[in-house]
Amino acid sequence: MPNVTVAEPDLQFTKDLIAAGADDLKKCYQCATCSVACKIAPDNGPFPRKEMIWAQWGLKDRLLNDPDVWLCHQCNDCSTECPRGANPGEVLKAVRKMNIQANSWPSFLGNLVGTPAMFILAAGIPIAVVLFIVYVSGWSFPSGPVHYSSHSINPATRDGFIYLPLLQVIFTLALLFGVVSLVMSLRSYWNQLESSNPIGIKGPGKGFVSSLIESLQEILPHSTFKECEANNIRYAAHMLAFWGMIGLFVTTAIVAFNYDILGLKPPSQNGPGTVPIKILGNASAIAFVLGLGIMTIRRLTNPEQAGNSSYFDWFFLFTIFGAGATGLLTELSRWSGFIAPTYTLYVIHLMFVLALLLYLPFSKFAHLGYRTVAIAWSKSVGRSRPLPVVPNYVPPTSE
Amino acid sequence: MDLKIGVYIDTGYGIGEALDIESLSKVATKEMKVPICRAEAYWSDPDKLEIIKSDIANEGVNAIIIAGPSPRVFQEAFRFDGIITERINLREQVIWSHPANDEDTQMLAEDYMRMGVTKLNKYEDRAPFDEASEKSILVIGGGITGMTAALEAARAGTQVYLVEKEPQLGGWAAKYHKVFTGRAPYDSIVDSPVQDKIAAVKATSNIKVFTGHRVYSIAGSPGMFDVIIREDGPWIDRLVREQNEWLEAKKAKEQIGQEDEQKPKAAAAAETPAEEEAPEPTDFPHEKVRVGAVVLAAGWRPEDASAFADLGYGEYPDVITSVELEELAKNGKIKRPSDGKEVNTIAFIDTPNQKADHPLLFSSSVASLVALKQAHYLRQTNPESRAYIFYENMRTPGQYEKFYQAMQDDPGVFLSKGTPVGVSNGGSALTIELKDTLLGEHMKVKVDLLVLSTGMVPATKDSAIVNLKYRQGPFMPENVYGFNDSHFICFPYETQRTGIYTAGCVKNPMDFLTCEMDATGAALKAIQCAELTAQGRAVAPRAGDESFPQIFLQRCTQCKRCTEECPFGAYDEKPDGTPLPNPTRCRRCAICMGSCPERLISFRDHSVDMIGSMVKIIDVPDEYSEKPRVVVFICENDAYPVVDMAGMNRLEYSPHVRFIPLRCLGNINMVWIADALSKGIDGIMLIGCKYGDDYQCHFVKGSELAEYRMSKISETLQRLALEPDRISVHQLAIDEFNKLPKIIGEFMERLSEFEPNPYKGF
Repeated sequence: MPNVTVAEPDLQFTKDLIAAGADDLKKCYQCATCSVACKIAPDNGPFPRKEMIWAQWGLKDRLLNDPDVWLCHQCNDCSTECPRGANPGEVLKAVRKMNIQANSWPSFLGNLVGTPAMFILAAGIPIAVVLFIVYVSGWSFPSGPVHYSSHSINPATRDGFIYLPLLQVIFTLALLFGVVSLVMSLRSYWNQLESSNPIGIKGPGKGFVSSLIESLQEILPHSTFKECEANNIRYAAHMLAFWGMIGLFVTTAIVAFNYDILGLKPPSQNGPGTVPIKILGNASAIAFVLGLGIMTIRRLTNPEQAGNSSYFDWFFLFTIFGAGATGLLTELSRWSGFIAPTYTLYVIHLMFVLALLLYLPFSKFAHLGYRTVAIAWSKSVGRSRPLPVVPNYVPPTSE
Repeated sequence: MDLKIGVYIDTGYGIGEALDIESLSKVATKEMKVPICRAEAYWSDPDKLEIIKSDIANEGVNAIIIAGPSPRVFQEAFRFDGIITERINLREQVIWSHPANDEDTQMLAEDYMRMGVTKLNKYEDRAPFDEASEKSILVIGGGITGMTAALEAARAGTQVYLVEKEPQLGGWAAKYHKVFTGRAPYDSIVDSPVQDKIAAVKATSNIKVFTGHRVYSIAGSPGMFDVIIREDGPWIDRLVREQNEWLEAKKAKEQIGQEDEQKPKAAAAAETPAEEEAPEPTDFPHEKVRVGAVVLAAGWRPEDASAFADLGYGEYPDVITSVELEELAKNGKIKRPSDGKEVNTIAFIDTPNQKADHPLLFSSSVASLVALKQAHYLRQTNPESRAYIFYENMRTPGQYEKFYQAMQDDPGVFLSKGTPVGVSNGGSALTIELKDTLLGEHMKVKVDLLVLSTGMVPATKDSAIVNLKYRQGPFMPENVYGFNDSHFICFPYETQRTGIYTAGCVKNPMDFLTCEMDATGAALKAIQCAELTAQGRAVAPRAGDESFPQIFLQRCTQCKRCTEECPFGAYDEKPDGTPLPNPTRCRRCAICMGSCPERLISFRDHSVDMIGSMVKIIDVPDEYSEKPRVVVFICENDAYPVVDMAGMNRLEYSPHVRFIPLRCLGNINMVWIADALSKGIDGIMLIGCKYGDDYQCHFVKGSELAEYRMSKISETLQRLALEPDRISVHQLAIDEFNKLPKIIGEFMERLSEFEPNPYKGF
């Protein structure tokens, strides 16, 4: 008995996808050039052809539970080759956005981040919180050499700019919130994949942990991303940003551990240090800002290859690039001996970082989680194995 | 007519270097006694043409032979008023296909010289047949096609008679809600402009409109069709019944013929006249008009909807045809037939009848376009609606791609390939199940209304319409798909009844705009036919040919083979059983020339004697020379270009073959075979067009007849004590030039197994 689908197209879903950047999805006429052009689509049930007809037919349930959209790294080979200008790459991107929004926990934050009209509110929250911290810290730049952290709110004993304990509490809470939300969202996503299995592949079933390890072996060196040859500058940029971010995360973790747990002062607060931790931090920051800078410039100057940039793309890029750029500028300003600009930049930097942490599960930032989960799920069911070769296959001859 | 022949040998193109021109000239002047023979390079050059003109003016040359490039090139350059031109193909078929300065190549060229001069010597001077001169036009059908044809012909200054069976003009086009726009950007639909067209027809003084009338009969031939137009009435039913009985009887007789081919001829002949009806009463009121040509634009009717019974048609009121939806859509919002509720979802199935005998009738681009158009009706009147279109092939030719794209962009239009499996009624909605969808799986959709594309059956399927008074019956012959055409690919307007041009949906399913375009073409073809006929010239495929068949009736044995085999019904029958030629119906294919066992039919420039003499003039070396001779009869329409193309591609093949072009392979007369074999020719090949359902023969069945005649040749061969394998028949399409050396090579190989023809030297 063949699999029978009762097609109940969700017209609104199709319209939402179109609004999310998949403007041309209706143009597809299923020639499958996209799936042939794609270098990383699996042999069995390759993307993005099937996603295109699902999108046209408004088959929301399938698309929201389709891990394949996360296997795509949007090199845009498919969009370049598409004879109809249907831009399959954009369609998959829009579906990814819908994935993130649909699984958001709590869900209203998904809408807050994804809706252009709510930008003021989305930006206002981190701005207000940081301004509150500044206010509590004393609402003025301290005199003397730059010293970011203060251990007292008493003007008399104030020994820096920002009251550190408050900053630590709020930012730790924000990080916790982001991580917990992301985990909740991903759990819901994983469960849906398990229960619906839209591609209909039943593999031998590998455990989550071994699949995850296998996935990370692929993700950390970007080995699949690298196969998108047509667009490998994108791969390079993402690699820089990705490892830069990890480097910054490690730096922050070590410094926090040294400072807060071991009580060690950083080796040098003022001036370019030569100690390993300084080198790691600065090198990571440069890689991070360089990678994100390349992405920003390409999005601005080369939309054919970089893809059309939606609000969702820009929101995330703005936040993360802003965080990196303001961090680096703060350091440069400090080295240059500017006092007020350094503190101002630092405040803006804090706003960006807070936005990044708070909106981790709701912005495009969440792709780090979804992509990992989708790849792991695909590995667990044996998704990317090639089809068995039919023995003695004789191609049909004409006449 | 006394011919004074001038032979002009072209030494250009390398011919002068590859052949012994002096010896070739001697064949012309000494052996063939040609008074003037000149050799120059490039006779098509203007200054060389002056030499020919001077010979015509000063030497009294009235027939010229150009021995040089293929007759397919420089046709205009070598056309002189009142001068007969013959061409000998020394370039493509001699020096380009055979080694230079070779004995066999030279012999080949010399044989072609002999054959060319012989052919010209057999030319008979006869004036063209120009007795038929009526130029008005009859248009049958007052729909969009007929009205357009009438208007276009009238605007060209022709008197037009327009006959429409309904009480008013307009046809189907008046029943459509909207039609496609013919203007950029081609992405929308507009109100049918049919009312404007009706007004224009009524306002045109040289169009005489007969509404509520039908064609009672058409007698005569192009340039002198006598048409009786009679008011519609019950008589048509009787006529159709009688015609169908005639057809049944004819089919039954053919079946008997197939089962028992050896049936004595006399018995078959005795059956033929039995169907003659009592003469029709002529006292009914009628109008009689004489016209030069006819445009048949009788249109179509929807396929019998019972063919869709397995999809719930007839069982569920909400399963309708696309014709019925046009009616529903005219009232604005589309309401369901069952309960009058507004429709929110429609499924369109564009190939509902997969089991139809002739799928082309029922699955066309019209089906795709109508489904898209009707989806547009729904989407425009109801923004929340959804339209599903399931197609077998989405066909939107030409600019219609733009409309398809526009509809595809509409988020409420869902497209997929799909084959319907079944329809069920689930209370408030219909559930349709489909297989082979683009989702790669079976699919079910729930809809308020299911619309099935209507098959478009040509009107000629039900009755003769033209009601011809021809010996071959009142009907237009139809092709395998049920349409009235002949060689559609190359001559889309021509039918097998000369002077009658089909246009619009009677020819094949067409949309509104294509009908208008087709009607214009047919109108121009009809005008062209009347004009050419008045000048005594043929229409396509041999447009302009002034020759026509002449029968030496005194020796006719009334075998009726010519009347039976003529693909165009050119021969009626006299009371004494001899053929009554209608020269203006003739397409000059000369199939009759091949069919006549008494060899009585000839054209002024193409006759049994002419070809037979060409065969006989071939120089046949004796049996010890190891130089076999093969005559290859080739169709000049497709096989001749094939041979030329083989030359252009410098493909080599045996120099022992001699090509003789025929107007059609159906010209082949058994006597030529006997002539050739008794002369000592070792083998005979026939190369013609592909035949069968997808025939490529310009004259429908010429190559098929040739093959049939050759299957009967063994008797002749046995009498001559020769092997039947000395004759072989081949079919080549015009692009298959690379097969030519192979089939010739294989035939020569086969011949080498036989002794040389023992009649050499007799």
